[in-house]
Amino acid sequence: MWDLLARSLGASTIFLFAALGELVNQRSGVLNVGLEGLMLFGGTAAFITAQTTGSYPLGFLAGLTIGGLLGLAHGFFSITLRGDQVVSGMGLWILSFGLTTYLGSAYTGPLGLARIPSLMGLSPFFLVGVALVAITWLLIFRTSLGLAIRSAGENPAAAEASGISVVAIRYLCVTVGGVLAGLSGATYTLSYNPVWNYNFLMGWGFVSLALVFFSMWNPWILLAGASLFGIMWQLSLSPELVLPGVLSRYVWRTVPFAITIPILVVISTPWFRTRWGLAKPEALGRPYAKG
Amino acid sequence: MRLGRYELTLEPRPAVSAVYTVLTAVVAILLALALSSFLFLSADASLLGAYRAVFSYAFFNPRGILATVQRAIYLLFCTYAFLVPLRAGLWNIGLPGQVFAGALAAFAVPFVLRAQEAQTLALAPGLLILLMVAAAAAAGAMLGGFAGLLRARLQVNEILVTMMLNSILFWLVAYMIKEGGPFMGATAEGEGFTLPAPLTAPLLRGVPFTAALALGAAVLLDLLFAKTALGYRIRAFGENPAAARYGGISPVALSLLVFLLGGAFAGLAGYHAFTAVPGVYKIPGNYGFYGDLAFYGIISALIARGSAVGAVPIAVLFAGLSLGARFAQGALHLPFGVDYALLGLLMMTFIASHALYQFRLAWRRVPSEVLQPAPTELPEG
Repeated sequence: MWDLLARSLGASTIFLFAALGELVNQRSGVLNVGLEGLMLFGGTAAFITAQTTGSYPLGFLAGLTIGGLLGLAHGFFSITLRGDQVVSGMGLWILSFGLTTYLGSAYTGPLGLARIPSLMGLSPFFLVGVALVAITWLLIFRTSLGLAIRSAGENPAAAEASGISVVAIRYLCVTVGGVLAGLSGATYTLSYNPVWNYNFLMGWGFVSLALVFFSMWNPWILLAGASLFGIMWQLSLSPELVLPGVLSRYVWRTVPFAITIPILVVISTPWFRTRWGLAKPEALGRPYAKG
Repeated sequence: MRLGRYELTLEPRPAVSAVYTVLTAVVAILLALALSSFLFLSADASLLGAYRAVFSYAFFNPRGILATVQRAIYLLFCTYAFLVPLRAGLWNIGLPGQVFAGALAAFAVPFVLRAQEAQTLALAPGLLILLMVAAAAAAGAMLGGFAGLLRARLQVNEILVTMMLNSILFWLVAYMIKEGGPFMGATAEGEGFTLPAPLTAPLLRGVPFTAALALGAAVLLDLLFAKTALGYRIRAFGENPAAARYGGISPVALSLLVFLLGGAFAGLAGYHAFTAVPGVYKIPGNYGFYGDLAFYGIISALIARGSAVGAVPIAVLFAGLSLGARFAQGALHLPFGVDYALLGLLMMTFIASHALYQFRLAWRRVPSEVLQPAPTELPEG
């Protein structure tokens, strides 16, 4: 039982890192629907680097760097060029999907390094994730930088008038978001499941994106949501632990995705929106033109 | 940015001429092809030889041409599936899921009517084929319509919903065709049952009738958007939903409609891919590849800037390129996934061209009063 829980929390960590980055992104008003692409590229870069150099730290460094660069690219398009954020995000996703399939194909297979040690089966990255949640919460709700981030996402014109550089804040946040997405991908390919395969994520990034909406942009709720989805994900991979022999294993694989839809529906109902949904950043997805 | 007496700024382009639109599309595609040179660096052949291998297989080899046509039909249906909702400002990235739904529905017709063997056909083959086409379109439309309805009624993000449906349908197909699933073939495990010969799509010189559907749809779609009130409403809603609502356009009905229509096209793509292409005629074990291929539909709709007729040559080109790239990969010992890499490169150059499409770099002479040097001497008096 503990093994299953520990493994589930390992899965939660992947969701958590990516979703936390996206949360920071969205708090500043930038929507990045290409999260999955950033994770794919970061994960692939980390895997290739770690395998060729034999060094985990270098692998993580590569993953974080690629993630940050792609985040910056999204920032350039959506902040400087004030383009459609969905076009840019989708573009980054398909770009990453296509290029990583080609770049990684020669590395298909297991990583072949000694596994990163775990704490009685629990991934150390989960603890990093919890710490990051606390740091993010403190940053967003208890510091002046956090206030600047939130105001850039709620009312950028007012933020600018009070002396905040919306462009700088948003660039900072997309880069941090990208780095965390890269970390998420790297954690997947170096720790959670160190076997490279084309399009290895198959929807993890999009579930992470949905988790941000579920979290009402609060890091602690995000932690709870990510943990829940990690458990659900792990159970869908090995349903025989709970309900042996009931339904095909393929049907179980649909469960995490199938549950996401009704949750999205519930949080979109007028009842939920008026009661709980006020946390959504007002200027989310809208480019900001100064002056 | 200021350089001397001139200022360099990015300005939105006021109106874009048709020539310029075509030009950006051509430049985006050419640039992607140029960038793909890097992919061929590890090839056995020279750069020119690699390109020659791609193009000569796709467009000059009799077998290759036929394969290109088959794939172009598939890509065209996928293109429309993305294009129709896009004109209303909505993103249907559920193409793979809708393709799979169409394929499952098409094969459900002979399965339910126990017509898996040619001897036991209950109805005339023509009627059965018609039923299969209708079932595929209806299944795709239902899946698309579900996302459209959620978007229309509750503003649920359509990207997330369609993406979740992609994963759900992917695993449902696996359930249906693998490990003793209902549609599993009699001989080979991990594949769907093979369609009896009378139920395969009729061919004319090796080209199935779906080609006519695909080309006809291109003309009809462009007429719909250019000449009809409904098309105008869709475009108005896509360009400015708030203004459209003030103009009396119902967002609910429109969002649902474009997703129903888009889903139906993706369902037809599923019908075409698995029942109309000689040598397939079943849901193969690598069906996921067809789902990935559907994303070429997104990029061709984007590059065609919403014109269905404009998407036809683009889809043919992409069909040829993706097939030729696969061929060259084998012939020149390239790593797997040249066709995927091309997809990514096209997306990259599209985004770049999109920026140039929306903005222009403007050189402006800075007005001389701004530049006047600060007075170094106190004015007299």
